[in-house]
Amino acid sequence: MKESSLKSIKDLPSTHVLGPGTPTCAGCGALGAIKIFCDILGEKTVFVNAAGCMTLLTVYPFTPFKGSWIYTAMASAPAGAQGIRDALDLLIRKGRLKPEEDLKVVVLTGDGTAYGMGLSSTSSAIYRGLDFIYICYDNEGYGNTGYQFSAATPHAARTATSKGPGGYQRYKKDLFAIWAAHRPAYVATVAGAEPLDMARKIEKAKDLKGSKLFIAFTPCPTGWHFEPAKTIEVGKLAVKTGVWPLKEYIDGKVAHTRVPLPKGKRPLVEEYLKIQGRFAHLFSPTRNEKVLEKIQSGVDAYWESIV
Amino acid sequence: MFRIRFHARGGQGIKTASRILGTAFFLEGYEVQDFPRYGAERRGAPIFAYVRASKNTINERGIINKPDLVIVTDDSLLLLPIAGVLLGVTERTVLLIATDEATELWKKRLNLQGLVLSISTQAAVKGHAGLPLLGAVCVGAAAQLVGVISKSALEEAIHEQLQPLGKVIVEENLAAAMTAYDQIEAYAGCTTEREDPSADSYESPDWIDLPFEDASTSAPYIHAAATTLNVKTGLWRSLRPVIDLQQCNRCALCHIYCPDGVISLDAKGYPQIDYQHCKGCLICLAQCPLHAIDAIPEPRQEGEIS
Repeated sequence: MKESSLKSIKDLPSTHVLGPGTPTCAGCGALGAIKIFCDILGEKTVFVNAAGCMTLLTVYPFTPFKGSWIYTAMASAPAGAQGIRDALDLLIRKGRLKPEEDLKVVVLTGDGTAYGMGLSSTSSAIYRGLDFIYICYDNEGYGNTGYQFSAATPHAARTATSKGPGGYQRYKKDLFAIWAAHRPAYVATVAGAEPLDMARKIEKAKDLKGSKLFIAFTPCPTGWHFEPAKTIEVGKLAVKTGVWPLKEYIDGKVAHTRVPLPKGKRPLVEEYLKIQGRFAHLFSPTRNEKVLEKIQSGVDAYWESIV
Repeated sequence: MFRIRFHARGGQGIKTASRILGTAFFLEGYEVQDFPRYGAERRGAPIFAYVRASKNTINERGIINKPDLVIVTDDSLLLLPIAGVLLGVTERTVLLIATDEATELWKKRLNLQGLVLSISTQAAVKGHAGLPLLGAVCVGAAAQLVGVISKSALEEAIHEQLQPLGKVIVEENLAAAMTAYDQIEAYAGCTTEREDPSADSYESPDWIDLPFEDASTSAPYIHAAATTLNVKTGLWRSLRPVIDLQQCNRCALCHIYCPDGVISLDAKGYPQIDYQHCKGCLICLAQCPLHAIDAIPEPRQEGEIS
């Protein structure tokens, strides 16, 4: 694999492809991540957007995209992508579209779709070897409808549908492992707060043939209950504390692109938890040591299994 | 029938306020409609909510174009045409503004003939987060202005609507609403009902009739790129980030981290903020390693934003 041309954060594009004026909340983590995707992928794209927060990007007659965009129901974005890919291939084969006019087909969905409703159609698309890019902006819940839990919601988080004293009782699905088990061309986890790592992965994957899938960690000030100014801080802490591993699957192997400091030296997970309102019940009125320990030991066990 | 329209910014609690007012009307034996307007209901964005209350069956539907009472929790909205605060306001409409400027000043500025009342935001009861409880203040004042809602009905409505949020929130909102209710006692009942619409006097809205066209014309295709440039999300901002270019070392982090992509770099690499679209999230301020970005309260002079 050739070395990335993106050596430092200074090498990221100095102008943006995605236009401003979108109706996402101030401080939206997902928008920040999609902005970087658009910068690296360029204008020759067609976004296939399953229902979710990001379908608000394009509300008639307004769009921030310079390329094409189409809306689908939650479960069917990869099916939409298949149709568009086939249409482009046919047009090129018949000579009605020049090969240099080809577009990259990009599925854009939230975690509700990626981890849940759209998992089946994604599985089928990867299985068929569909040549597309999938971006899941993971804000760990159904953000657009008032922040209900999804299969991506972490243990103990409060959501509109897990308001009990312990918060959400189930555990976040390991979508990276599920996707990687299909042996696609590329799978990566990225974080909006780590734009250089994210840009390098997009650059590496964008011209590969086959399915290229990304799970982007995108904090949500509205649903997670923190000040919009802290979106990047929350994202950086998730990486530093080891909650969100940055990794990629390519050529049959999983590699971590960033390994946090060893146990004892890296900040505790509670540094990440305590700045979010959705975990406030773990600290007040009394500290819930049992749950905090459980979350910490889950993260520690993950990194022990890696090193 | 009473027709009441609320104008606020997202986060000031006006949807809940309209719900409380509707509940209080209901407890007084009225048939009620209360609803917010669906749209960009984001923190800071202009928000609309409506209450209709009548002793008879309400046959009217949709947003309120001819209000008897208009309530504004944020005076900066009065200067925004898009907020439509003055839509359908006549000399018989009562306008209540949460403002720290003189009522007479607003009356003159807006050139209004009808009754304009103000309620101080600085003197308003503050919640545990230190912010004035403008939703509760406005609902307390509105309950007094319509003249048919007793204190006990208002109290019960607040309990009913806010109970899931806990005792502290119920108590502080109750205090804010009751203070406003007492404060505006001199104007009790100054809002008057208008007759319910009858089929004879029904005025149809300003429809634009569209002929049936095939899908290539009538489907919502957008043929231009990046048209959101025309949406001025800068209106949402309450704090304005300001970059001190003397201190800036052109690290470009603000440009990279701004989620909305509204910080561009000039030819020399210095960041420039597009205030027409900056939503005021202040990620740039939080991430600037040299602390070269400050936040100042948004200026509210007319024409400042556009």
